[in-house]
Amino acid sequence: MKWRRIWAMVKKDIREFVKSKYVLSVIILMPLFFAILFPITSVLPIAKLDPAEFGDESIGGFVETMFNKVIDNWETLHPQVQTLVLLSYAMFIAVLLLPIIIPAVTASETVVGEKERKTMEAILASPMSESEIVIGKIISSFLPSVIGTLVASIAYMIFIDILLYPHLGFILFPDLLSMVFVFIISPLVSIISVELMIMVSTRVTSVRDAYQIGSLVVLPLIGLIVFEMLGLLLNSVATLLGSIAVLIIIIIGLFKIATSIFDRERAIVKMV
Amino acid sequence: MLAVETSKLTKDYKTKEAFLRAVDTLDLAIEESEIYSLLGPNGAGKTTSVRILAGLLRPTDGNAKVLGLDIIKDAQEIRSNVGLLTETPALYERLTVRRNLEFIADLYDVPKEEVKPRIEEIIDLFEISEKIDEPAGALSKGMKQKVAIARAMFHDPKIIFLDEPTASLAPESAKIVREQIQKLAKTEHRTFFICTHNLFEAEILSSRVGIINRGSLVAEGTPAELRDLHKDQRITVFRFTKWDNALKNFFEDLDLELIEIDQNQKSISAIIPQVEKQTPTIIENLVKQKYSMVEVRHEYPTLEKIYLELVETESIPREEEEEIEE
Repeated sequence: MKWRRIWAMVKKDIREFVKSKYVLSVIILMPLFFAILFPITSVLPIAKLDPAEFGDESIGGFVETMFNKVIDNWETLHPQVQTLVLLSYAMFIAVLLLPIIIPAVTASETVVGEKERKTMEAILASPMSESEIVIGKIISSFLPSVIGTLVASIAYMIFIDILLYPHLGFILFPDLLSMVFVFIISPLVSIISVELMIMVSTRVTSVRDAYQIGSLVVLPLIGLIVFEMLGLLLNSVATLLGSIAVLIIIIIGLFKIATSIFDRERAIVKMV
Repeated sequence: MLAVETSKLTKDYKTKEAFLRAVDTLDLAIEESEIYSLLGPNGAGKTTSVRILAGLLRPTDGNAKVLGLDIIKDAQEIRSNVGLLTETPALYERLTVRRNLEFIADLYDVPKEEVKPRIEEIIDLFEISEKIDEPAGALSKGMKQKVAIARAMFHDPKIIFLDEPTASLAPESAKIVREQIQKLAKTEHRTFFICTHNLFEAEILSSRVGIINRGSLVAEGTPAELRDLHKDQRITVFRFTKWDNALKNFFEDLDLELIEIDQNQKSISAIIPQVEKQTPTIIENLVKQKYSMVEVRHEYPTLEKIYLELVETESIPREEEEEIEE
């Protein structure tokens, strides 16, 4: 395994992303769109409502069980504030879809795009091994996703804090749960998304096909994020460690599959 | 040691619906520092052969050695030691020419301290100093191909495979690329393996030409040797100052195979079996009978004629070969 080759590919891919208006807009504009538009359309209208409209009845049941674990004195909060907190977390899940969505663009652009433009042949003709190519492509598709998610999460948290502070009297984000998601869960899910997209990309010949098939393949990951969030809200450290272990096992398994299906001969033949 | 040596090299593309033998028991032996052209129509198996020899595809049968290395066992080492110019330049168009070359330097493990001097060397050799910091996408087609050749040579490979180096170029760009190859062949002393369907290109660039059709080698030799393949088809043309119908009778009486009687050109073309012996006698008799001649010349079959005879016309179109793959 020669890391010089892998980093050369990553550097080259990132340079290409930076020069591509389309990819750049996905990496920069989409995160900002998620971070700003979702709070404006969902949280802001609730924050603007008259508290009297909410009555005195607290949001109880399942929601109370969840939020008691992350918000002190949940039951003492005004129902409007409870709604705002609930929505803030729900919209945060939407921001956490970015590590799933961005690789759909970056991985297909860097794998199928290279096939379409026939530049892949020069890589296949080089001494790079199949696993070096796959690792290089995973890293170069993963980095923009992580950076985009990080930027969006920070922007979202700041925006929510500005909106909610007058109601809450304390800063909601960052909390332990959001940090775990931004720095642990979302990068792991992003790697899975990248691997799935690379597997799809090695099998198709056009970027359009990669988007179409890829978006179907990564769809279950959205459920995974929601499941993880609920799991962590309801349970605790054991759930977190268990989740991380499962995600790592999936990553290793998918990597093995991705390298085994990335066959030089098939790649070159599919390219023509 | 031979630069390229193949023995009964065969490559099949199979699917549930179709089967194509792209390369069929191909035997090649190419010396080091030779410029060898594999000439053939589209779909003849040239690209597949090059891809096998460059370590990209595995053969279905037979074996081959490139620089003494086995194409199956040592494929990665072969890829390190050969340069490949693909049919399209396929540069990273958003990146500058320099970045394209630096990327290749990293892929081929060119020592870091050698990258800058090597780029300078390449700039001089290919005369691309003005273009080196321009995006590759902004270059003309000919210039892109030139840069692609530079890229194929960047890691100093001992053998360079050029797949249709001028196929997609306008005549003036093709000329630039051909001149560059000729220059490199003279100054760099490397083995060049050129795939082309361009006969003129094969003839002017190569020391030896192999004609491939339907995956098999149908003829091989220097361009002169190939022309000699049909020496027996040498035609002798007699052209006269004025036409006389008696000339026709004269030649018919000689019992020669008459190829053409052209009254407008005042010429008669014939195949003379014992050309060295019979031609002087024929001329002598024509002079005796007061036929005034402008010229007597021998016409040799052109390489083009020989090539067309060898490859026939029913070649499989390239697209068909490509669609058949898995």
